Amino acid sequence: MLKKLEEIRAIIANEPVKKLVLAAAHDHDSLSAVLRASKDGIVIPILVGDKESIQNIAAANGYDISDLRIIHESQTEAAVEIAVKMASSKQAEILMKGKVGTSTLLKCVLNKEWGLRTGKLLSHFALFEVETYHKLIAVTDVAMNIAPNLQEKIAIINNSINCLHKLGIQNPKVAVLGAVEMVNENMSATLDAALLSKMNQRDQIKGCIIDGPLAFDNAVSLESARHKGIKSEVAGDTDLLLMPDIEVGNVLYKSLVFFAKAKVASVILGAATPIVLTSRSDSEQAKYDSIMLAAAVSKKQA
Amino acid sequence: MIRTLDQMVEKVLLSGKKHRLAISWAQDNNTIGAVGKAVINGLAEAFLLGKKNEIIKVCHSQSIDPALFTIIGSESESTASAEAVSMVKRGDADIVMKGLVSTDKFLKAVMDKENGIMIPGAVLSYVCAIEMPSYHKLLFITDPAVIPFPDLDQKIAMAEYAIEMANCFGIEKPKVALIGASEKISRHFENSIHYSVMCKMAERGQIKNCIMDGPLDIFLACERKTMEIKGINTPVNGDADILLFPSIESCNPFYKGLMLFANGELAGLIRGTSSPVIVMSRSEKQKSKYYCIALACLMAGNK
Repeated sequence: MLKKLEEIRAIIANEPVKKLVLAAAHDHDSLSAVLRASKDGIVIPILVGDKESIQNIAAANGYDISDLRIIHESQTEAAVEIAVKMASSKQAEILMKGKVGTSTLLKCVLNKEWGLRTGKLLSHFALFEVETYHKLIAVTDVAMNIAPNLQEKIAIINNSINCLHKLGIQNPKVAVLGAVEMVNENMSATLDAALLSKMNQRDQIKGCIIDGPLAFDNAVSLESARHKGIKSEVAGDTDLLLMPDIEVGNVLYKSLVFFAKAKVASVILGAATPIVLTSRSDSEQAKYDSIMLAAAVSKKQA
Repeated sequence: MIRTLDQMVEKVLLSGKKHRLAISWAQDNNTIGAVGKAVINGLAEAFLLGKKNEIIKVCHSQSIDPALFTIIGSESESTASAEAVSMVKRGDADIVMKGLVSTDKFLKAVMDKENGIMIPGAVLSYVCAIEMPSYHKLLFITDPAVIPFPDLDQKIAMAEYAIEMANCFGIEKPKVALIGASEKISRHFENSIHYSVMCKMAERGQIKNCIMDGPLDIFLACERKTMEIKGINTPVNGDADILLFPSIESCNPFYKGLMLFANGELAGLIRGTSSPVIVMSRSEKQKSKYYCIALACLMAGNK
């Protein structure tokens, strides 16, 4: 059981250091997080972007990057293409977004010839360290899938479970979130939740314990669940919260960060390599922790 | 817990209550035979509605004394049905039973908005208790007769009716198997989706007093061995009390198959009405009709 994000470091300590390629690396925020992670031995960076800007940013932050591999390409799209191709040709195990729009990066990731498609759905996975909860809690999907249907929810759960297994959480407890814990025909999220629970019971979704619908309070508090008389293996001990849609997910994400002062690491799953795709509003610490999370969940390359 | 239909009859007899039957268009051999037996055995009192002369003729042909009954003259199937239903509505009878009248005409009287006996807003459905030598207890099935393709709400109502009936048989928490062709969930099988939702509702106490699982095939529902072979964990545990079918076309041949090939015997009732309503096909055996009367008495006594 993990209580703090920094414990992820111990997971990657025994593995070879992974290579991270930063696409359009001439970006102050992402580059400084990558350079700090590099200094701490978490990743080996490959920087694709405008070499002069990269060197200036590094110098301004007091980093010596003379040993690092830099591929000069000042055109953003071309730099992203190079970075994605490095990831798809297994020269790097993690892809990270630099000074480039998310849509441009994803277009390259999804390129049919040289992208990072695996046939799986791409989904966003966020891992929170909240002081008031007894362990790390994952939340999905708060950023990629707008209104996932049942099949997409299954894919999102599978992506996330795979990721949690790599973090050493053997049989994660998944709460399918609703506004209420009762099944209500007028609330489609509660119907999907019932289906996902049953599919889990029938081994159609494996490697986890799913219960839902659960309201947020009974998902994270055993006392709340008891008040409502809910018998559930998941209630109060959730490892993963599945959001009904992006609106709920995004608001929860931001309220945890802003009101609960939670720390968060996030990564895009479902591509051939994990993708670090933090937004400009994420703190430098969040970017650093996301790189660490990506390093923990990326596959070892031969 | 009642395990056979004869035990059910015993239970009603032991209660000492005599329920009053109103039979619509009663001039039918099997019906009068069954009702006569019920009256003679002390299960019930009976009002026979129909053509007086014909009723008396049928009684004589069955060697039953017409004086056992109160015979009420009636000129048509429809008026006999309407009158039988209003007797129950007025409190002059406890149970209404279909005689020689067609089911359509009979149910029209039962469901009449002003004079009928439907519970407002309730789903009309049918539950059967089946006894057969090859199963260790009674098996309740629904719906072999009324709802062709039940939607989710109708399935929930069907389950609740069957659970309520099983409760009257002393089965406190019946095991309800929601029957499908396979135990897997697939969006191509709408029933498997309904069933998943119902299981969760049972888990959350929205459907009460039962242990529910589905989709299950009949083997998994009724045979523990299959469960072990397939390696599937289900709380129904090969010991189902209730089988809920996805359609009439699956449930009806199932029960008829049991009657024909498995020496099955049955008692069934319409549900959704404020008083018990007995509807049996005219071809049904006298013995089945007798069991239906006993079942109606049991349910009337548990109202």
